[in-house]
Amino acid sequence: MKSELELRGVQQRFHARGVADGYITAVDDVSFSLAASPPQIVSLVGQSGSGKSTIARNVLGLQKPTAGSVLYGGKDIFKLSRAEYDEYRRDVQPVFQDPYAIFNPFYRVDRVLWKALKKFKLADTRAKGLELIEESLRAVRLEPENVLGRYPHQLSGGQRQRIMLARVHMLRPSFIIADEPVSMLDAQVRKHFLDILLDFQTKHGMTTLFITHDLSTVYYLGGEVMVITKGQIVERGPVSTVMHEPSHPYTKLLLDSIPQPDPDQRWTSRIAVDELERVDDANPAADTKPEAPIL
Amino acid sequence: MRILTAVLRTIRNSRRLAAGLIILGVMVLLALFSPVIVNAIGGGKDPIEVAAYEKWLVPGPGHLLGTDQFGRDVFAMVMKALSVSLQIGAIAGIISTVAGVIVAFVAGYKGGWIDGILSTFTGILLVIPTFPLLIALSAYAKNVSLFQVGVMISIFSWPFAAKTIRSQVLSLRTRPYVDLARVSKARDLEIIVTELLPNLLPFIGVGFASSALGAIFGLVGLEVIGLGPGGVVDLGQIIYNAITTGALTLGAWPMFVVPIVLLTLLFAALNMVNIGLEEVYNPRLRGVAGE
Ligand SMILES: Nc1ncnc2c1ncn2[C@@H]1O[C@H](COP(=O)(O)OP(=O)(O)OP(=O)(O)O)[C@@H](O)[C@H]1O
Ligand SMILES: [Mg+2]
Repeated sequence: MKSELELRGVQQRFHARGVADGYITAVDDVSFSLAASPPQIVSLVGQSGSGKSTIARNVLGLQKPTAGSVLYGGKDIFKLSRAEYDEYRRDVQPVFQDPYAIFNPFYRVDRVLWKALKKFKLADTRAKGLELIEESLRAVRLEPENVLGRYPHQLSGGQRQRIMLARVHMLRPSFIIADEPVSMLDAQVRKHFLDILLDFQTKHGMTTLFITHDLSTVYYLGGEVMVITKGQIVERGPVSTVMHEPSHPYTKLLLDSIPQPDPDQRWTSRIAVDELERVDDANPAADTKPEAPIL
Repeated sequence: MRILTAVLRTIRNSRRLAAGLIILGVMVLLALFSPVIVNAIGGGKDPIEVAAYEKWLVPGPGHLLGTDQFGRDVFAMVMKALSVSLQIGAIAGIISTVAGVIVAFVAGYKGGWIDGILSTFTGILLVIPTFPLLIALSAYAKNVSLFQVGVMISIFSWPFAAKTIRSQVLSLRTRPYVDLARVSKARDLEIIVTELLPNLLPFIGVGFASSALGAIFGLVGLEVIGLGPGGVVDLGQIIYNAITTGALTLGAWPMFVVPIVLLTLLFAALNMVNIGLEEVYNPRLRGVAGE
């Protein structure tokens, strides 16, 4: 497994109607790297529309950036040989935001696990495959008999999201790209999920890019944090440093805008909405279509 | 197998769909057995041969629906024509649906300039007034086969199927489960067949039913105004004969009424299938009772 995932000057533009120059820049000259060892958790925080999901799609090879490159083991992921591509696919895996839409309603939930087994040749017999599936489900604290053979609508959001984690557990990638994986889960299930991620880091040495707009989960996970606004990464550092001594004005504003966990401090200083807007005027909600066909 | 259970589940969820399919099923059965029925009526000879019987016999025990101006048994003719109408619907429906699905998938899934070209082409075909063109075409088509008629009509009906299905493909291809399939190394064709197609079955069903309906009635329309292609005797042709010969005044009303009743039933059945499918995939249309 390659040891590094790197973004070099990645830019992603989308055609948009009703904007001055005919396109919006969702990701603007973003460079950063993630190391597989030591395994770490790097959070990417920013408000809605700042380009977080687009970065995730670029890293996962689902969207080719308009400029710059995503490198896996030093090579552009869109120019890999067959064998390198297979390795990259196995080694960089996602957990998406919506636990409902991630399952094709037509099939039972087991299918995503069997598909992963088959496509990545993890087991040569069905019995062995089932064994792996059950082991991975237990690793994410799911009882196989409670989920196998069910349709997605028969499971809770937390269960479904943990099936995605079980899939990751089976594949053992070096990198997990988690795009707001807990934003649709309630507080208790959320903690559960984060604990499993931390578990994966320590037990299986997985590095996670954790995308979120929620600073309390960033606190909880620890590790490093990157702050993104308007498609640009403005700050990166250990969570404690960035949280306590933010260097960029946007980070300060972001920190001010969340209620403190300490009840005495809650909402002491109010910030006006237009203050946020001035620093980060949200991208125009325009009728947009991708510049390059998504493929 | 999985598709079959899904189809059964869909049918059980909609009474309209079930009713439409039952009517359709009965008509298809009648059409399938029409050679047998025609034979039984003829009792050894061909009942739809010219001058097989006396002209203009009124409905009675020997000839349930009477005979026409050439002495042909109307019941036998109607049975045969029903089978012809259904075959034309099926041929045009299948061609339109297959063409529509392929174009829709290529355009919708690939996107970009391919989508641009295909959508423009489909759009042009959609705005061309079809009926005058069909009239022109059938003027040239004097002795055509049933299959040729089906093909001719489907030229104009596939864009409708393509349009509906394309917009569904566009909305489905950005679903997260498609992304998940891609990071699981699924190829384009595999994604189309295993992830998108099953979710499109109702739309494909609607595309088929509307094209078949359009084809059957397009042909009837041509024939009733006397411009049908020669050589194909479908239900519309019988109605046309009834009109031109003044069959109603001669007491041969079944020649006019029976084909119309059959066409109405067919229309109702195909539309019930359409609406039923729509109800299933668009739950907002479903009654408050839910599933
Ligand atoms: N396929 C696309 N076509 C056109 N515009 C897009 C597309 N994907 C994203 N955008 C635009 O790019 C910008 C960044 O979107 P992105 O989804 O990356 O934001 P985000 O930070 O993930 O926001 P959120 O927190 O709401 O998920 C937005 O303005 C969005 O409208
Ligand atoms: Mg997002």
